[in-house]
Amino acid sequence: MTTRTLPGVTHDSITPPATLSVQHLTLRAGARTLLDRFTHTFYPGEVWCIAGPNGAGKTTLISALAGLLLPAAGHVELDGVRVPDWPSASLARRRALMPQSAHDAFSASVLDIVMLNRFPHLTGWGWERPADRAAAHAALDLLGLSAFATRDVLSLSGGERQRVALAAVLCQEAPLLLLDEPLSHLDLHHQIGCLEALTGWAVEPKRTVVFSCHDLNLARRFATHALLLDGAGSAFAGPVREVLTPTLASRAFGYPLILLQDGGHEALIPAPRPQTAQGEAAGPSS
Amino acid sequence: MRALPRQDVVVHGRKNPESVEHYELAYTYNLPRRGTRVLLAGQHQWRRARRAGAAQMNRLSVRPVRRLPLMHAKRAAAIWCVLAVLALAVLIASLALGSVPLAPARVLAALLPLPGHGGAPADLAGEIVRSLRLPRALAGFACGALLAVAGALLQVLLRNPLAEPYVLGVSGGAASLALLAMMAGCAWWLVDASAFAGAFVSILLVLGLARRELWRGEPQDTSPRLLLTGAVIAAGWGALITLLLTLAPDNRLRGMLFWLTGDLNGVGVPWLALAALAAVLVAIVPAAPQLNVLLRGDAAAQALGVSVMRLRLRVYLVASLAAAAAVTTGGTIGFVGLVVPHALRLAFGNDQRMLLPAAALGGGVAVMGADLVARTVVAPAQLPVGVITALIGVPVFLWMLLRRPR
Repeated sequence: MTTRTLPGVTHDSITPPATLSVQHLTLRAGARTLLDRFTHTFYPGEVWCIAGPNGAGKTTLISALAGLLLPAAGHVELDGVRVPDWPSASLARRRALMPQSAHDAFSASVLDIVMLNRFPHLTGWGWERPADRAAAHAALDLLGLSAFATRDVLSLSGGERQRVALAAVLCQEAPLLLLDEPLSHLDLHHQIGCLEALTGWAVEPKRTVVFSCHDLNLARRFATHALLLDGAGSAFAGPVREVLTPTLASRAFGYPLILLQDGGHEALIPAPRPQTAQGEAAGPSS
Repeated sequence: MRALPRQDVVVHGRKNPESVEHYELAYTYNLPRRGTRVLLAGQHQWRRARRAGAAQMNRLSVRPVRRLPLMHAKRAAAIWCVLAVLALAVLIASLALGSVPLAPARVLAALLPLPGHGGAPADLAGEIVRSLRLPRALAGFACGALLAVAGALLQVLLRNPLAEPYVLGVSGGAASLALLAMMAGCAWWLVDASAFAGAFVSILLVLGLARRELWRGEPQDTSPRLLLTGAVIAAGWGALITLLLTLAPDNRLRGMLFWLTGDLNGVGVPWLALAALAAVLVAIVPAAPQLNVLLRGDAAAQALGVSVMRLRLRVYLVASLAAAAAVTTGGTIGFVGLVVPHALRLAFGNDQRMLLPAAALGGGVAVMGADLVARTVVAPAQLPVGVITALIGVPVFLWMLLRRPR
């Protein structure tokens, strides 16, 4: 798959890029503080990976950024306006959210499912116009799904459905994309294909992409920036190579990681479990 | 999928440069004069190739593909028109057929007092059409439409294909109070009023107990609590109904059983049900695009700008009041609310913008037609309409379900 922008969908370049900022954001789950007074700004053209161990608050943070969840303290601003103050329809044209799971209880064609995300753009009696159809086809095309357009979504595999969900948020044409685990259920080939599509999507015109991901190496390769959560209130944000380092990642994940380098290639891998040398190499969890 | 040489690929009988991997059903076959060919796509083309003289069809891949046509405003309008014509035909048949068969022309004459007749001639045929058959047919249409719309709405709200208008206990509440009124020997209007009161009590009960799913609290993607609350309340009403039936005096029992099965006999005023139908459609059809989005999950819908909790409450109230109005008019007519929306979905897809008006028309046709059968098939005796809807509905639905390859 190659990186392309949607052909035939040029009118969205009129939409100005979106700047998302959080101020003193505090997120809690029960008694646990997931994020403590976090202040940061996500700029257009940046591709952010949110990483962290299970339960660190990746989904909670993405929900809060999308405005679905009221933070315990602080606030989220999009284009300088607090997210709860946005009219819901205009907000949906400015930011798109891909939740972790989607429901398909009834059969529907893939194109219909993708076109549901044109809802914020619908006018009149709520029927799609040719522009909406074109956007849906272009998004399917971008992810290599054009042959699936008339297929029943219930007949697709988990990975195919995941790519359909990704095509759906792309066809919403919002300048801010928030994606919760967009790569789950995907094989390596499609993970890379989707990431290439996303990075291409963020460049021309300039858009902001924030996604959560468990694969630190894919994040290092495709994201421009990373936000590392440790689940205990602190977060590290910055360029991906400065955040997803062996030191910081080992501390956040509670397991020692090492960076292998071979020519131009590099990979973060878990350190071999220390069996003989129990001293200084032991993980911080013990 | 086996790789095939490009020049052999035939789709719709002609050579096509597209690659084979886009198709999931492929056959190779030999034609007497044209040599080996490859066929892609579905059953229809398969049969055509078979007729063209292919002796043996070798299947390359066994995953059948079901291609769904796309819904758009024109197609929806065409579906509605066909259903409306069908409804009109069944209405005319309902007015013409019966123990006194009438020609369609006489039916029309009875409906439209022509100037030639002068005033209102008190002829028997006109009286039968105007005061017996017309109210009953219209009541049947309204009941069926209300039930089918309620079923379609609850299937969306609960995101569960098994949902039907009675699943949340509306009918149980209505039946309990209506049977109580019948046991006490009340007038018919009091029975109707108690039925509506019972339905209303049941709606309030579910609203109170499942408030977190319906009007308070945050949107949640998994809400089995609403379904479970409703189902348990329905079960409670069921026990009460059984108790009432065991205690009922024998001379009232037959009427009570007819009410429970659903019966349109003796419906005097269809206007209330028709007004309820109009109100329901006005209240919910404009929200159809939002309902489409709601099916993808609460979080996705909220992110697309739908206020999920308000929509849920609206859907619940509209569906429950529709079911209550239908039950008050015709008793607990079963199966329409489950089968009609599903049949339309199987035939035309699950776009709520098309489905809700189509369900109203289709449900109306179903109950009006079933009632026509119920009062003519063993005439002069009359069957409760609920028996017919179930007897016809079950096999038709199973046939529709099983003939589709998945």
